Amino acid sequence: MVEEGSTLLRRMEISVAEAEKRTGKNTVNMQEIFTVYLIETRPIDAITEGHNPAPDSLWRRYSEFEILRNYLLVTYPFIVVPPLPEKRAEFVWHKLSADNMDPDFVERRRVGLENFLLRVASHSVLSNDKILYHFLTEEHRWKEVVCETGFQAKADSRIKALSATFRVKNPDKRFTEMKHYSDELQSLTSQLLRVRARVADRLYGVYKVHGNYGRVFSEWSALEKEMGDGLQSAGHHMDAYAASVDDMLEEEEHYADQLKEYLFYAEALRAVCRKHELTQYELETASSDLISKKQQREELATGMVRTFSFKGMTNKLFGQETPEQREAKLSLLEEQIVQGEETVTEKTVECEEYVKGAWVDMQRFKEQKDRDLREALIGYAVMQISMCKKGIQVWTNAKECFHKM
Amino acid sequence: MSACTPKSLASSGQKPIQEMCHPLGAEEAVLTPSPDVRNITSSIGEKDQILPNGTPVETSSPSSSSSLLNRLQLDDDLDGETRDLFVTVDDPKKHVSTMETYITYRVVTKTTRVEFDLPEYTVRRRYQDFDWLRTKLEDSQPTHLIPPLPEKFVMKGVVDRFSEEFVETRRKALDKFLKRVADHPVLSFNEHLNSFLSAKDLNKRQGLALLSKMGESVKYVTGGYKLRGRPVEFSAMGDYLDMFTQKLGTIDRIAQRIIKEQSEYLAELKEYGPVYTTWAASEAELQGPLEGVASCMANCSIALDELTQDMSGDFLPVLREYVLYIESMKAVLKKRDNVQAEYEAKLEAAALRKEERPTVPTDVEKCQDRVECFNADLKSDWDQWQNNKTQDFRQLLTGMADHNIQYYEKVTAGDYWLMLSYVHLIQVVVQGAKGSVSY
Repeated sequence: MVEEGSTLLRRMEISVAEAEKRTGKNTVNMQEIFTVYLIETRPIDAITEGHNPAPDSLWRRYSEFEILRNYLLVTYPFIVVPPLPEKRAEFVWHKLSADNMDPDFVERRRVGLENFLLRVASHSVLSNDKILYHFLTEEHRWKEVVCETGFQAKADSRIKALSATFRVKNPDKRFTEMKHYSDELQSLTSQLLRVRARVADRLYGVYKVHGNYGRVFSEWSALEKEMGDGLQSAGHHMDAYAASVDDMLEEEEHYADQLKEYLFYAEALRAVCRKHELTQYELETASSDLISKKQQREELATGMVRTFSFKGMTNKLFGQETPEQREAKLSLLEEQIVQGEETVTEKTVECEEYVKGAWVDMQRFKEQKDRDLREALIGYAVMQISMCKKGIQVWTNAKECFHKM
Repeated sequence: MSACTPKSLASSGQKPIQEMCHPLGAEEAVLTPSPDVRNITSSIGEKDQILPNGTPVETSSPSSSSSLLNRLQLDDDLDGETRDLFVTVDDPKKHVSTMETYITYRVVTKTTRVEFDLPEYTVRRRYQDFDWLRTKLEDSQPTHLIPPLPEKFVMKGVVDRFSEEFVETRRKALDKFLKRVADHPVLSFNEHLNSFLSAKDLNKRQGLALLSKMGESVKYVTGGYKLRGRPVEFSAMGDYLDMFTQKLGTIDRIAQRIIKEQSEYLAELKEYGPVYTTWAASEAELQGPLEGVASCMANCSIALDELTQDMSGDFLPVLREYVLYIESMKAVLKKRDNVQAEYEAKLEAAALRKEERPTVPTDVEKCQDRVECFNADLKSDWDQWQNNKTQDFRQLLTGMADHNIQYYEKVTAGDYWLMLSYVHLIQVVVQGAKGSVSY
């Protein structure tokens, strides 16, 4: 189960406090504007002792967070690594800006980055990482240090991973099921987010059109003697109704962000399953290599050809090789077999450890997901209720005005 | 201008009480009715009607005291206690024949008036018959504002003509129409109304013979005369109607737009809920909450559909009735203009021949009478119309607010159920029932 060890978060308070715009030169030496985020940290024991120290802080931009995450992915492939908030605004509905510089987007991203750091820093394995600590506490040389770990070279190629998926013979069934689940989770959350955006768009339209009542009631009230006051007040309520949708939908974006996090988490989950398939495949490949080498040794030693081989054919056609050649081949094979056995042992251990570690983390992830999403869904229902209450309030007020006409 | 002398009950324009000075005004102290008098012809409204808020009707001088007394005795009592004609429209029934299918309504009349042979009548009438009645009233009482009917034509495929909601909406409108006619001091004595309420079979071809004298004379006034000086109040009426109709048109468009937006919102909602259900199938612990959200969405969809139907069925038709009503009122105003124009033309022609004939010729006098009666009828009906209009729109807009409140209440109820089920789930988890299933 999850170790209740001393994760980083227990020792340190972390927050992403602010966002600012900076200008600078990018990789192709062109001027660009980008946003930096202020990371603040404070040691917890200092706080509990009653001091109130100023936090240490440094600025980081989104691309640095990306590097950190890639490093974690490569270094801890058996962990479902928390995702970053989206790079570009997706699933926007018309009122929402797709612009990365839009202040609402920047603010939601700030929250997402903080969430990422908190999740990583509270993870029993990830939180002990030195690179993470460096990222949080020291601005200088972080990029150089992380590159020196050589993590980029260790990254598995996509092609390798994909071919493993197709060729692996005996993956752990639980991982295969988990991979299917991750595919479904990804597709469902993605669909949900798309439809939700359309629903938000339509709801926006309904509310805003009511604003027109405000205007026409006001114009109409100018024509009337008795009804005038009632109409005018009712018109104000209609205006308030139309305006209320902006806040409601802004709140709903928070729910959408929670769903998005798990959309991206699904990908991380799938990556863990794929890595298992890769290690399993490597083990299977090493094993079958070993078997075939042993077979070759047997053939050479006994002169019997068990199975059809090209060598056997050419031997028959062109004559056998000399005893010296055979000896050389045999000893080479022996070496290779020894090496192969070592490799198989290594790979077997690697695979077993991977399965163990990954399974533990996937369970942790499952519980976290159930907790978080249940909370998100409840929050969503609460939002709906609050929206209805506001609606009842406004229309009740309007009704009173109509009564008084 | 002298007040017109009533020729017969049916045709004169009797001024209702509210046209006089305010009851608490000094001049009329002797003959004013009690200070807590309510507006006469209080028709359908459940609400008490109030006197116009201190807006004195800037009209001609009040009539002489003797005719006022007459009218007090002849008019229905202002409190409605001695109202002597009660009508109700109810009990819609469907009739199916080989040629057509239609709805009839039961019309019940209770009266003590001598114009009716019996004290009580029950007949069945269909929409066509109401339409016939209204046309007859318009023709025979052209100087009065005739209350509106619900819309004649209904777009097939959009609204179901035989649905309960539609029939009930129509019934209410027909009931309102008849009650207003029955409470009108002049229209209620119309012979066509009498036939409508009492005859076993409406002989709809009996028309021309029953035109009142006034009706006839007005009907044949041509529009060939140019109007010189329209009194300010009638110009004001015309202007008001023009602007009001414009506002109604705008409100109609807004309401339609809202219905359209709500329908599109509904379409998206119907796609949204099922995604949660599909997701629930892949989950274990989350299945409950996910299915809960799905059912909330479904509940919301149903409530939204009902709201849209209600607005289409209740709100839009009433708006459109009023637009048609106003058109017919403008026609009456136009007729009044024509009558006045004819009078002015004849007066002018007579003035030119003054040397020949010193006295005013009788046909010019008749014209003058016509103008004055028309003006008087219109003014009294106008005030009543304003009251009815206020009432109608209060009811209409309150209804709109109610529909929306009900929608939100229905949705809230569904969400609360969901919340309660969550609470239960949380309790289960806390008691340590976790980790029992695979995902």
